[in-house]
Amino acid sequence: MAETLASFEPIMRLPLPFCCPSGFTLALRLLFVLLLGTGSVFRAAAQAPDYLPYYSKDTLRVAQLAATQRAAVKTYFALPKEGNSAYRDHYRQVVQEAARDVYNSIRYSALLDPVIEPFVQQVFARILKANPQLPAGTRLVLTRNPEPNAHAVGNGIVMLNVGLLPRLENESQLAFILCHELAHVACHHMENGLHEHLTTLHSKDMKREIRRIIDSEYNISSQIKALALGFSLNTNYHRRRHEKQADSLGYVLLARTTYDAPQAYRALQLLDTIDEPETTASLPLASYFSCADFPKTFAPVPDKPTSIFTVQKTATALETTDTLKSHPDCAKRMRFLHTLAQGRVAEGPQPASSPEFARIRYVSRLEVIQSWFDYDCYDHALFEALLLLPQQPGNAYLHSVVQLSLYELRQHLQDHTYSEVVSNKSTRNPKNFNELIHVLHGLSYDDFRGLSTCFAQATGAAPAAPADEYALAARYASTSLTSEATAAVVLKEQYQKQYSGGKFDKLLFPAPAKAVRR
Amino acid sequence: MFFTKHSALTAVFALAVAAASAQTKTVDGIQNMRHSALSPIYAGNEVKGYLMFGRGDKADRKNDNYLLDFYDQDLAKVSNVTVQKPSGRFTLLDNSFNGSAFAFYFFNSKDETLELETYDTSLKKLGTKVIGELTKGDKMMIANQQKLEDPSAGGMMGSGMSLFPVPGQGFVRNGYTGLMKGYTLAMYDDKLQMKWRVTSPENSKQYETVGITEASDKYLLGMMMRRDGLMSRTINASMVAFDVATGKKVLDQPVETSKTEQLSLSSFSFDPEKREFVAVGEYYKPDDKPFVNKSLGFYIKRFNEQGKVVSTKNYGWQREVASLMPAEAKPSLEDNYVNYTHSITKGADGKVYIVSEQYKVVGDGLGIAMTALGGRGANVTKGKIGNLFVYEIDPQGKLTGVKFYAKDPSTATLPAGSSYMSAGIIGHIMKMQGDFDYQFLQKNDANTQFNAVYINFDKEKGAATKRVIGDIAFGNNGKYAVDKIDMTSDANYSYLYPAKPGYVMIADYYKKKNQLGMKLVKLNI
Repeated sequence: MAETLASFEPIMRLPLPFCCPSGFTLALRLLFVLLLGTGSVFRAAAQAPDYLPYYSKDTLRVAQLAATQRAAVKTYFALPKEGNSAYRDHYRQVVQEAARDVYNSIRYSALLDPVIEPFVQQVFARILKANPQLPAGTRLVLTRNPEPNAHAVGNGIVMLNVGLLPRLENESQLAFILCHELAHVACHHMENGLHEHLTTLHSKDMKREIRRIIDSEYNISSQIKALALGFSLNTNYHRRRHEKQADSLGYVLLARTTYDAPQAYRALQLLDTIDEPETTASLPLASYFSCADFPKTFAPVPDKPTSIFTVQKTATALETTDTLKSHPDCAKRMRFLHTLAQGRVAEGPQPASSPEFARIRYVSRLEVIQSWFDYDCYDHALFEALLLLPQQPGNAYLHSVVQLSLYELRQHLQDHTYSEVVSNKSTRNPKNFNELIHVLHGLSYDDFRGLSTCFAQATGAAPAAPADEYALAARYASTSLTSEATAAVVLKEQYQKQYSGGKFDKLLFPAPAKAVRR
Repeated sequence: MFFTKHSALTAVFALAVAAASAQTKTVDGIQNMRHSALSPIYAGNEVKGYLMFGRGDKADRKNDNYLLDFYDQDLAKVSNVTVQKPSGRFTLLDNSFNGSAFAFYFFNSKDETLELETYDTSLKKLGTKVIGELTKGDKMMIANQQKLEDPSAGGMMGSGMSLFPVPGQGFVRNGYTGLMKGYTLAMYDDKLQMKWRVTSPENSKQYETVGITEASDKYLLGMMMRRDGLMSRTINASMVAFDVATGKKVLDQPVETSKTEQLSLSSFSFDPEKREFVAVGEYYKPDDKPFVNKSLGFYIKRFNEQGKVVSTKNYGWQREVASLMPAEAKPSLEDNYVNYTHSITKGADGKVYIVSEQYKVVGDGLGIAMTALGGRGANVTKGKIGNLFVYEIDPQGKLTGVKFYAKDPSTATLPAGSSYMSAGIIGHIMKMQGDFDYQFLQKNDANTQFNAVYINFDKEKGAATKRVIGDIAFGNNGKYAVDKIDMTSDANYSYLYPAKPGYVMIADYYKKKNQLGMKLVKLNI
């Protein structure tokens, strides 16, 4: 019921960050963040030099939006009259799950900030205005999800992850991505896909095949796997067709706007390398986390394979054959678009963004860092903050999020949940991220004190009085890390007085019963 | 069967959760799960992966598909191997990795055969071996081993039939002759070609069984138990060593007999740097009775490769140990506890660490009463497990530290006649029964960091009571640290396994969901 821009996820659901244990935990985590009250609401102006990630204790607006869209999904996907009872039951179940997922996605991750959200809504409105034939009721929801992605829901909702924005170069590229999702909506891909999926699944042929397998008694598991693979390939074939249509129609929709249509091609180019970090250079860990008080050496990640196995991984047909993937390779999509645009395409790095879009990219990047933190993915939060820090050495928010991440990592180490919040090293990760992971895996409880001390020294003296809630929370975190118990108590009292029920209140100062399990 | 797996249609078509790269793994479709279904794979000192063995679906009228799933040290699935063997009659007795090959030791109860299979590191099959004509002793031990592997045992390990890895050279399989009259040892190379086979002398007047404890580059070490008859209550233990190249017995030396003192043997190992055998145990006055009289202390005896005593060091409770013994340990020492040595390990800095756990025999009131009234088969003895110690000995053989770790006592049921056995033998029986709280010692390849891991729980109240994993960390940084992990969960069964250095692995089995959750837990040390 959802069509995504770049992922291979078949059905709408809240995409999970890599290290988070479950969607449920993630939802709870965001619920926790959003339910917290605060004495102050950050309303960073677009022109303000320093931006702090958006937070509001007012959850009414987002709750209403979530409830409205949940109802809209249920209404839109009315139970069809055709099909057998199994088909209809399955259809009802899928719609229920989709409605619940839409509700949870919006309720716990919608980003209704005063800077980014109005901007993307204005881009969306311009597209709709230029394309009045698009279905009524389409709506854009910006989410806090840090993964660079977007997807459409059947009833016309387009979900845009804030993680996509820092990766784009201009407004026109954003407009093409929104057009691509709107094309899925206009072509009814989700409804058609659901219908095709369920029709095949509940067809007489499928039932006959399943019955045959069960009756055969032997090797049922491998036969079912083969059947499921064939089913996936068939589904993916149809989804590829949908992607091609969405690229095609999306380009047409974009061309009708005042945006720069050649940027569609460039957007696909960017998507092709979307999983790569901004830089592949190693993070300057030693300059931030090694000092006279804690002379830690950051040895390079050993090249020696850690696995005793020498099994050659055999890729499945879904991984090796492009024609069997749910989304065609970007290169193929680019060639198709190149033909469609008759060669009028923008290629390679584009000129500097407009100041307004540059600002959107920048504040989105900070929102992404905060999202990783709020999702308990402190490794990602640290990585993103340390990537940006050399460009923004004086950014107080980045200083805060590093100290807060170190504090949370130590807490999880103490609570024996460290492995749940720190990723594994993987060949799929960027090399510099693996280097950070390698360091994090080797840390002991006492190391965090040294890391915090050195980082504070490296980033310069902090103002005597913390300027905002993040800074005060980070001051408490670093003070706790350095075992200054008395000072930490004072800071805790100050935080609770100044930001009663604030963003970090329950995270840093959990009630005793919850503190045990965290 | 250790675990069984099924593929429901609903599961196949269910949407997969996005691949997580956290150090956790959830496996669905597990119908039942025992501790032995999952076993760590070692390379050198370190855990480098896990093997999961279980039964899948039917392969044909007579056979089932048996699944060998391999995971790496981070719980990422590496690959799987499927073998087709007789339905419901095929169990994994043991698995081992010798650095170049994986070996699996199966029992085929339909054909009453033992089957060995070896694979290289790419999981390509290297060899197979079927061993028929099992002796009554073999069958008894297999039956006993399978009986122990019950989920409620919570980590009890069978020890009857095993496959011992010899680094880079092959594997050694043990067996029994007759009705446990003697032993056999057979060494195979990676392709399962037999290199040698030895059996206990047929004319031996005594019953002999050997438990292999360690394989070095040159020796296969073990402890030999000798008794006059199958039901004899008097067992004598000897240190034995076999030449790993030929199988020739090069050392066979009793340690429990001495003119000046009575010794119990807790551990026997080989020091490859000094090329010496090392025996550790406790010593008593010649006429004293273990458990009635307190031991005088513990000893370390070193023998050269010819079996000649090189050095003997006694560490008396009242002398060397007393001055270093923490005050909180003293009450338990007054309580007739003796020590079972679980591990002796040498650090890269030359220090030797000995991890031991207290145990003693206690009377069972009901059992004694039943025996007095003529009841049969009643156990009159129970074992009690106490606290943990770590002894630190410097390279010159001087005792430099005694660390005491208090824990809740737990109990063990001892076989009839235990009260007539020596302290050392009873300790080994308790070890074989899985009665101790100590689980394993983890060490890194550099021999600089060690973790002694135990589970502290009230066995009398069953597995549902609160269980805490304890970890004692020590090493060449000179620091001793303790970490405690609450293992209590709503899982039907929770099992603890060794893991890569600095971690332990916990597997939680949820019967209702047919789900197994595995997670690596980083130790807070």
